[in-house]
Amino acid sequence: MEAKVEARPVVNVQAPVVREEQGAMAAEQHELKMTARDVNLWYGEKQALFDVSLDIFDRQVTALIGPSGCGKSTFIRCLNRMNDVIEGCRIKGDIRLDGENIYAADIDPVQLRARVGMVFQKPNPFPKSIYENVAYGPRIHGLAHSKSELDDIVVKSLMRAGLYEEVKDRLSESGTGLSGGQQQRLCIARAISVNPEVLLMDEPCSALDPIATARIESLMEELKETFCIVIVTHSMQQAARVSQRTAFFHLGKLVEVGDTTTMFTNPSDTRTQDYITGRFG
Amino acid sequence: MSDVSTIDRRAALDWASPQAKKRIRRRYAADRRLQAYGIIAIGLAVGLLGILVTSLVATGAPAFLQTKVNLEIYVDPSKVDPKDPAKGNFRAIVRDALFAQVPAPETDKQKTEVTKILTSDAAYIVRDYVLAHPETIGQRITIPIAVSDPFDQLYKGVIPREVEALNWTQERTFDRLQNRGVVVTHDGKAYLKLDAYIDPAKVESGDFTGIAHESLRAYLPDVSGTEMFGMLADDAPDAIKGRVETDPGVVGKTIQVELPVSEPYQTLAKGETPMVLNQRFSPEQIEAFDALVAKGLVSSPFNWELFLNADSRFPERAGLAGAITGSFYALLVCFLLSFPIGISAAVYLEEFAPKNRLTDLIEVNINNLAAVPSVVFGLLGLAVFLGFFGLPRSAPLVGGMVLSLMTLPTIIIATRAALKAVPPSIREAALGIGASKHQVILHHVLPLAMPGILTGTIIGMAQALGETAPLLLIGMNAFIPSVESMGVLEPATALPTQIFSWADSPERGFVSRTSAAILVLLGFLVMMNMAAVALRHMFERKW
Amino acid sequence: MIGYILLAILALALISYVIGRYRAVASVGGRQYELHSRPSYHGTFVAAWVGIPAVLLVLVWITLQGPVIDRLLLWSLPLGTTDGMDQGQIGLLLSEIKSVAAGNIFGEPSLVVEDAAERYLRWQTIARSAMVVAVLCVALLGFVLTNARISPTFRARHGTERVLTGLMIACSLIAILTTLGIVLSLLIEALRFFERVSPLEFFFGLNWEPQIPIREGQVTAGGSFGAIPVFAGTLLISFIAMLVAVPIGLYSAIYLTEYAHPRLRATIKPIMELLAGIPTVVYGFFAVLTVAPAVRSFGETVGIPIAPNSAFAAGAVMGIMIIPFISSFSDDAIAAVPQSMRDGSYAMGATKGETITKVLLPAALPGIMGGILLAVSRAIGETMIVVMAAGIIATLTANPFEPVTTVTVQIVTLLIGDQEFDNPKTLAAFALGLVLFVVTLILNVIALHIVRKYREKYE
Repeated sequence: MEAKVEARPVVNVQAPVVREEQGAMAAEQHELKMTARDVNLWYGEKQALFDVSLDIFDRQVTALIGPSGCGKSTFIRCLNRMNDVIEGCRIKGDIRLDGENIYAADIDPVQLRARVGMVFQKPNPFPKSIYENVAYGPRIHGLAHSKSELDDIVVKSLMRAGLYEEVKDRLSESGTGLSGGQQQRLCIARAISVNPEVLLMDEPCSALDPIATARIESLMEELKETFCIVIVTHSMQQAARVSQRTAFFHLGKLVEVGDTTTMFTNPSDTRTQDYITGRFG
Repeated sequence: MSDVSTIDRRAALDWASPQAKKRIRRRYAADRRLQAYGIIAIGLAVGLLGILVTSLVATGAPAFLQTKVNLEIYVDPSKVDPKDPAKGNFRAIVRDALFAQVPAPETDKQKTEVTKILTSDAAYIVRDYVLAHPETIGQRITIPIAVSDPFDQLYKGVIPREVEALNWTQERTFDRLQNRGVVVTHDGKAYLKLDAYIDPAKVESGDFTGIAHESLRAYLPDVSGTEMFGMLADDAPDAIKGRVETDPGVVGKTIQVELPVSEPYQTLAKGETPMVLNQRFSPEQIEAFDALVAKGLVSSPFNWELFLNADSRFPERAGLAGAITGSFYALLVCFLLSFPIGISAAVYLEEFAPKNRLTDLIEVNINNLAAVPSVVFGLLGLAVFLGFFGLPRSAPLVGGMVLSLMTLPTIIIATRAALKAVPPSIREAALGIGASKHQVILHHVLPLAMPGILTGTIIGMAQALGETAPLLLIGMNAFIPSVESMGVLEPATALPTQIFSWADSPERGFVSRTSAAILVLLGFLVMMNMAAVALRHMFERKW
Repeated sequence: MIGYILLAILALALISYVIGRYRAVASVGGRQYELHSRPSYHGTFVAAWVGIPAVLLVLVWITLQGPVIDRLLLWSLPLGTTDGMDQGQIGLLLSEIKSVAAGNIFGEPSLVVEDAAERYLRWQTIARSAMVVAVLCVALLGFVLTNARISPTFRARHGTERVLTGLMIACSLIAILTTLGIVLSLLIEALRFFERVSPLEFFFGLNWEPQIPIREGQVTAGGSFGAIPVFAGTLLISFIAMLVAVPIGLYSAIYLTEYAHPRLRATIKPIMELLAGIPTVVYGFFAVLTVAPAVRSFGETVGIPIAPNSAFAAGAVMGIMIIPFISSFSDDAIAAVPQSMRDGSYAMGATKGETITKVLLPAALPGIMGGILLAVSRAIGETMIVVMAAGIIATLTANPFEPVTTVTVQIVTLLIGDQEFDNPKTLAAFALGLVLFVVTLILNVIALHIVRKYREKYE
């Protein structure tokens, strides 16, 4: 209760500072890919996000960190309108992809999700063959005009997900038979098979062992050359390792956002500092 | 930045392209189609249920009323001996009472026809009444007597008094002739103006009817004779005969004749629909019945007999008392057997049974028994209960035993679920104060699980109430004209088997009775299920 | 008679309870806390040992009494009476003796029969009295043995609980006994049938005319038992039922789980389940009353002759009955697919329809197939609808507008009314019943196996 009362003025003071910094970054090297302004979200009566404003830049990894239940997963699901499926979910605010409001009436969530792909916390390959798992997206969107084109897309996607060498001899076997780390890379291959512009990753390594986690992290390193990546993680080490920018969420509010190195060495908000130094979370 | 990825990035789909837009439209159309199929499927399922219920209610509702004649009857002492009233000539008494109210029929045949207005059981109704009230001998009494089935339906408007005299083909055939100008009218009478060949051979044999038919057939070569020759009036051949007699020279020639049309077609020619009396009634009967109605003697009150009478060969007298009693006995036996046995078995399997081959076998058996076709249980009952143990055929005892074998899996499964729902904390608390396992279950777990068990039992009983096939095989579809002789070991019938027997009966009145019996059966089922739901709500407990 | 004996046993048990209880209290001079077990346990223990063996004895006695007396009766007949008689004639002779004994005399019974009837009556009386004596002895023995054990240290509760457990085990065994009873009775009667009719003819014959002479000299066909047309008819009607039920059930399940608003779902589901609660005899009448005439008049308008008891009408109504099966199994199967599959598909930019047809249905397929198999088994075993709405004559046809007959129809028509057990016609019903039981059992086992495997996969 005390923290909340205190929090208000801090955020208000902070907000312009954050924006200024974001602008500086953009000018430096990366194009602005997505912007969120004053996003509020309710599940039924319960408000889960409060006035979140965040800029996301192309060809780099943006990490969302914060204690569990802070709204970081909820926020990432707003970016490709996955919250639409949830009964009783209301959203207010403005989220843009390349300057286009993704919640505008004429935006088709189906198209949007093809442009903003997503990888989930728990690997969720379809109970189909490895090949069919990757071919699913191109098929429904009609990206391939022939069998050979489709084969090409599947192979390339598996290659870019670093899985091809391990599974090239058993593409027709079930995707659910792979190990956890392989399943997650299969899901990444599935997500990039439709050439999305943004790749959302919702705690992609939380169900994996350290070795599989390392593989996914190095994969992200490669993928960020092509995609704009947003990753939700509860591990600050991971955020520090893979991301260029970090945003810290707390109690449904965006507390602080900035260059990852700056965030971890010199956070401007006391709560960020407390979280990073392990005082709560 | 690798080359591959840059190229790929550029190759991304252009969502604004017309092809992409078309594709998206197609995909959404497919989605809407799937939704539409779903709605159609639900609509069909619900609609079919609706049709089922409506058709049953529509046909069954009239059976809840019964048309009766309030007949004033003189219990003539000369016909009923006060010392032995059972032997009295009640048939004559009823006859006299009826003839006193209607225009007197003349011939014996007409008399028989008119008595058929009342149910064939009329004499027995009066006899039973007089036997119950012997003091009425020699007095005038008024008792309501059911009318026979056709008049019951006539009074309720289920069947019409008059039906259309001509079918659709006949009317259309006449229309064709009219359109071709063949039908002419003089002085309000219609004739067919036909070319007729006066065949010398037919004139020779006097077959003028044949000539008339031939001439008509020439106009309607594609219509069958039965649909067409009725058009000609009985005196049509005479018209030809008259022509031939006045002018013998026409023999062997083709001449134009005007043949009168028969009565219904006369009406049709005037643009009206010709009607005839329904063949189920004779004019005398209708006259007599109208007289009864005009005197205000006919009414159709609620049909209590439907619930009070047992079965009868006459639909207007048939009731469900026997079937309901039989079903009650069978369900009672079924409950007395399956409830204790089911609970014991479930308690053992859920609380005591070690996990071994035998208990596995029992579980597999219970699950499979739940899916064995009911007719197989009938075969079991026939071979084992009737064949091996020699129990009496058609008895509710056997029916109840067979039904209890079928309900056991339901009760066992429900009881186990209810036992599982009792939290371990209750058991631990009781065990903790030194109760034995049996005491814990008897004193604490079972009472807490009882609402769930009862709900399952009621649902099982409801299923058993609707079962037909096994009862048919053990003969529980006996004809039971009286409830008094019924018992657990006596032949009986049950509600569903009664429905089956009535559905099989040729008399039209049983159609309505069958629907009514089904409504009664469904009523019982709804009540039982509502009781189960109410029980569940009343004792619903959040642990 | 049996009822009175059972009542008497109950009374004896109650008295024993009271005595046992009293003796237990008396044994410690009213200081109940000195007893190992509560007095009521002592009472119950005594009562159980008085009542249960006696009841069991009665049951065994009445089972055996009939056959034993029959056998004795045959032995007692003058030598040579039964020479050259087959099983059926001996049976007739026995029933003649019994009906004479019961006082129903038709015609002139022979002296032999009259003597035998007298013996029969005498033996029956003896048997009955013997039973009463035996039951009393057993009850008394139980009483004496258990009553003697009543003492402060006697663990009556343990004894009672052992008896209770024994009773519960016996009740559990009834499930096995039922299955055993079904299998044995079907097998025995079917084997007797196959003694008369070769299995080859039964399973591969194309002609099913089970009418055989009932009286001697009656002219009918010899009775042929080639069941192929019956099996084919069953399959045809079941197939039509599935054609109706699977699409309607599956599509409505899809709509209800994935598209429908929860409130609509909460209203529609119970309505659909009503269809499952309606007794089949009602569907049968519905078929006869409404569906068959409607189908027929539709056929007339389009110019197809449709029989009043066409396979189509019966199958369609059976399909209506099966809709809720398919829909609730499909509903369960689709709902069991984890949310993460849906998320995965939506995140790829799939529409709801694509998610359902390309991800959810393939994933739920085993569960749905299990449900369909169970429904097929149900359709094959369904009796009343076909008895009322399908044909009786076995014709081998694939035309759904002609009448066909089914296994269950034949079982019922062969067994309805009076029948004797020694007639191939009657026995044929059991052979058909055996086939029906085996086929449905196999279908159920496979279906339950598939469904269980499917559930494990997503748990």
